[in-house]
Amino acid sequence: MTSDLIPSPQPSPARGRGGLHAQRNTLFVEQAEIISHQPHAAGQYTLRLLAPQIAARAQPGSFVHLSCGAERPMRRPLSIMRADPDHGWIDILYKVMGSGTALLAQRQHGEHLDLIGPIGRPFSPDPQRSRPLLIGGGVGIPPMVFLADRMHLQPGITPLAILGSEVPFPFAAQPSRIIIPGLPAGVIAAMPLLEDWGIPSRLTSRQGYAGCFDGYVTDLARAWLDGLPAEARDEVEVFACGPHAMLEAVAALAREFSLPCQVSLEEFMACAVGGCAGCVVEITTPDGPAMKRVCVDGPVFDARQVFSTP
Amino acid sequence: MSVPMSSDDRQMLATRFCGMHLDTPLVLLSGCVGFGEEYTRINGFSNRDVGAVCLKGTTLAPRLGNPPHRVYETPMGMLNAIGLQNPGARHVVDSILPELDFTETRFIANVSGSTVEEYFEVTRIFDDSPIDAIEINISCPNVKEGGVAFGNNPDMSARVVEACRRATAKPLITKLSPNQTDIAENARRCIEAGTDGFAVINTLMGMAVDIEQRTPVIGNNQGGLSGPAIKPIALLKVHQVYQVCKAHGIPIIGQGGIVTAEDALEFIIAGASAVGIGTALFYDPLVCPKINAGIVDYLQRHGISEISQLVGSLRLNTPAPPRCD
Repeated sequence: MTSDLIPSPQPSPARGRGGLHAQRNTLFVEQAEIISHQPHAAGQYTLRLLAPQIAARAQPGSFVHLSCGAERPMRRPLSIMRADPDHGWIDILYKVMGSGTALLAQRQHGEHLDLIGPIGRPFSPDPQRSRPLLIGGGVGIPPMVFLADRMHLQPGITPLAILGSEVPFPFAAQPSRIIIPGLPAGVIAAMPLLEDWGIPSRLTSRQGYAGCFDGYVTDLARAWLDGLPAEARDEVEVFACGPHAMLEAVAALAREFSLPCQVSLEEFMACAVGGCAGCVVEITTPDGPAMKRVCVDGPVFDARQVFSTP
Repeated sequence: MSVPMSSDDRQMLATRFCGMHLDTPLVLLSGCVGFGEEYTRINGFSNRDVGAVCLKGTTLAPRLGNPPHRVYETPMGMLNAIGLQNPGARHVVDSILPELDFTETRFIANVSGSTVEEYFEVTRIFDDSPIDAIEINISCPNVKEGGVAFGNNPDMSARVVEACRRATAKPLITKLSPNQTDIAENARRCIEAGTDGFAVINTLMGMAVDIEQRTPVIGNNQGGLSGPAIKPIALLKVHQVYQVCKAHGIPIIGQGGIVTAEDALEFIIAGASAVGIGTALFYDPLVCPKINAGIVDYLQRHGISEISQLVGSLRLNTPAPPRCD
């Protein structure tokens, strides 16, 4: 057991009388106007919110803690899918899962939502690895889109996104114009937004959707990795967000190919500022097990710490 | 963003609690605000808006706490079962307290243990620290040993308070459990044992069930219920404990579901000298200045110059006997 559970053990300039104020005032409460609220199939929605302070500071992996409505006053943590600092908006993709998100789905264009953000430790890509593999499952897709957005203008970086869903995708998939060597024939469905950015993507599902790979995200990722020359494989870094079982499979795949892997986790959350320790995940450290807060120690963790070797 | 309070407002809100000067009657509750710095991440939040901050429950050795899920929303409330995750008293005193800004507010340690001896040891460690006061947590419902097992038994409660009293001359505040038959009797015993004040109430034990999995939602199976759902229960407990305390001049932090200034005023009128804010922070991290402003507005409307004048001002109804004609 580590002796340093709360706060985070890594020295942080954010704490301490010397650097006390560095961590202060880094999260913003905004009354964000709903610019658009677009429904998709299977209870999925895309929200575009005017939240300039959050948009200016959000990073891939960041999330907002959002009030859905007065009847369910506890906030819900939702990943940021896109952020436009110039125009001050953020996009959030969510799926109705319970009473809170059901209330959220009723909120209309022009209304305001109370947000706290941007929260959390974001993804931190290794600049030495030029082939990021982004794996998103279901409502774990949004952080991958955000990561792709921030990567698409970086010279020398050639990401691949593999996105899976067992309900219809919250966008109209299109045949990709970007050829990816090593993938099974007929796997051509892509996310239009990523396609526009020049980032290759492929979709997977076990529901038989046209152009999608019939299987799990990890099956398609394995096919791609198997087809890479060894030196190219060494340039891969894996980023993933999705259901726990998917993340566990992704972590196992990364371990098998000796690839670094960062996963974004979710957990029921109360304060989202590190105060209540309600949202912890058990991780492995050199000193033994430790409970880390998903909100401020995460939501992005090193997969090797979360999913220990079987 | 909060508007800074005027000096007149501050004068109205300032109060004394167990000999401590509190800038406002608001106290941030243990378990909700980490070790005092966490909420300052939020732009517009300030520890100066509250009279005191109760730090996370602390034991002698580090504790990992309970497995997830640890929190879950219920109708107008929430369940939690954190399980006293903490880095141990020595770490808190040596590494965390030196980093807190004691000019902003008062900081209150929250001590817990599995044995009476552990309570003594933890209190002793905090006694030799700059902490302003010590809250004795004999009411945590989420640990297997200690906690509420002490708090629901007046004899054990008194033994814990006596042990802590021997360990420190700092103000001792005993946090009482609502999960007991006679909270007033427990309060009486704790006063005899040397407590300087009370926090009333801790959470009520509860459960939520995942009907698809047929398992409790909370990893610990049961948890402590907080939030507006428990406010009427908390108010009655404060009223009952106040009946015991007022003759001894023992002050109470009233807590349980306070979200608005009106909620806070109810507790103060029922007998609380200060009021605890917990779950409401999860709803609105900037709630404290709003509650302060609402209290000031009330005091002004009623021509009351200091909050202390309102404490225990409840006028009970005197129900007429039932008429038979």
